[in-house]
Amino acid sequence: MSGLRQTGPVPHVRTSDPNAVDAALAACAGGDSDAFGPVYDALSPSVFGAALAVLRDRDHAAEVTQEVMVEMWQTAERFDATRASARTWAVTLTRRRAIDRVRSEQARRARDQKDLDASAVGRERDVVAEEVDSAFERAAVRDCLDTLTETQRESVVRAYYGERTYREVAEDLGAALPTVKSRIRDGLSRLRDCLGVNHG
Amino acid sequence: MADETLGRSATREAWDLLPLYALDALDDLERRQVDRLLADDADARRALDEYRETVGAFVVDTEPPAELRAATLAAIGGATSDDGANPYAAVDPSTGDRPGHAADVAAGPEGSNVVSMAAARERRKRSWRLAAVAAVAVVAVGVPTGIAVDSRQTQVRLEAQATRVADMLADPDARLVTSTVAGGGEASALVSGGDVLFTASGLPEAADDEDYQLWIVAEAGITSAGLLDTSDAVSQALVEGADGEVVAMTLEPEGGSDQPTSDPIVALET
Repeated sequence: MSGLRQTGPVPHVRTSDPNAVDAALAACAGGDSDAFGPVYDALSPSVFGAALAVLRDRDHAAEVTQEVMVEMWQTAERFDATRASARTWAVTLTRRRAIDRVRSEQARRARDQKDLDASAVGRERDVVAEEVDSAFERAAVRDCLDTLTETQRESVVRAYYGERTYREVAEDLGAALPTVKSRIRDGLSRLRDCLGVNHG
Repeated sequence: MADETLGRSATREAWDLLPLYALDALDDLERRQVDRLLADDADARRALDEYRETVGAFVVDTEPPAELRAATLAAIGGATSDDGANPYAAVDPSTGDRPGHAADVAAGPEGSNVVSMAAARERRKRSWRLAAVAAVAVVAVGVPTGIAVDSRQTQVRLEAQATRVADMLADPDARLVTSTVAGGGEASALVSGGDVLFTASGLPEAADDEDYQLWIVAEAGITSAGLLDTSDAVSQALVEGADGEVVAMTLEPEGGSDQPTSDPIVALET
């Protein structure tokens, strides 16, 4: 088809300076599509990593990454650098989409008992899960997790992986709802303090 | 103040839920409770931002598949700036028309006594043309890409057509055309052997009295390609014989229409 064009490899330029990313996002809000390449290069690894942690499937994580990057392009004017870093914004958008996807898939499975490929999916999931778990050793939060009690850590980490609402986490752990709620709350607050996150 | 609208205990409860909100661990009801707090209380918004940054520290940056970059830049229309090639080559730049675009065929003579209908038809014609132009966020890639087509799900959902679809997915000459959908979501058309595998994801739920309907826009006119079942997160439909035509989607009254009654929300030029 004459309307089709082969898109070749494009050299990657990493933009690691947060201010540069903020500026590029502002340019995106003004409709400058040239500014989107640096935004993609700076933020897509965070988006893909966040999606992979929840979805544990590279194809699904790639789809969500594309959806989120397009959403950031379309809603760039909503980004408020005074509230959050571009990375935090990207991770927030990603987790929302990824978790929505997992929950609607769970609902579909509940509706549709004949899940023909459950075993195949399970195997792939296990392999990616191992990769995700070993990569987690490099997460910025890793050292701070040691400041949590074991039960806090377990509750927060389960919530991070996002498959479950805290009600379901409570069921999994056989713990009372208010107990799990306060474990997650106290755990995340401790992590915030350990990481020195303070917008005050 | 938040205390006046929510009540003191409800406010404290919503504050307690903020970390779980930041982790997306709440159900819909609780999330709305927190949304009300956030709308009223700048301190709560700042606390949420801190929790979100904390959640971000869990994320291990991981390089996405390399081919995703070009596909994403194409999806936002930015790929054009890389090499100056004109992706709209099939479209006459003076009119936005593609040769033999069905909108021209559909437009009949316009009498002066039917001004409003003619105007409406003109508007429709224009927007169908625009859609065809806008749709040409085009990537040609080898398949399987792992981007927009999930072969596993295809085989589950389209059991009857599984062999045909599997052949398409295995076809090294298959082409993939992608576009965002007006109103939300993405759509792609995998073109192979004369047929088109249409895939949509992230579509907003249609209203109770509406359905998503697919159309083949050909020189001879617009024909329905059936309703799109959107009960799953990813919807797919095999549109046979659509290669070389435009596959478009509209929201139609429940049960579908003989001809589109609304503007296309996506149009993929295959």
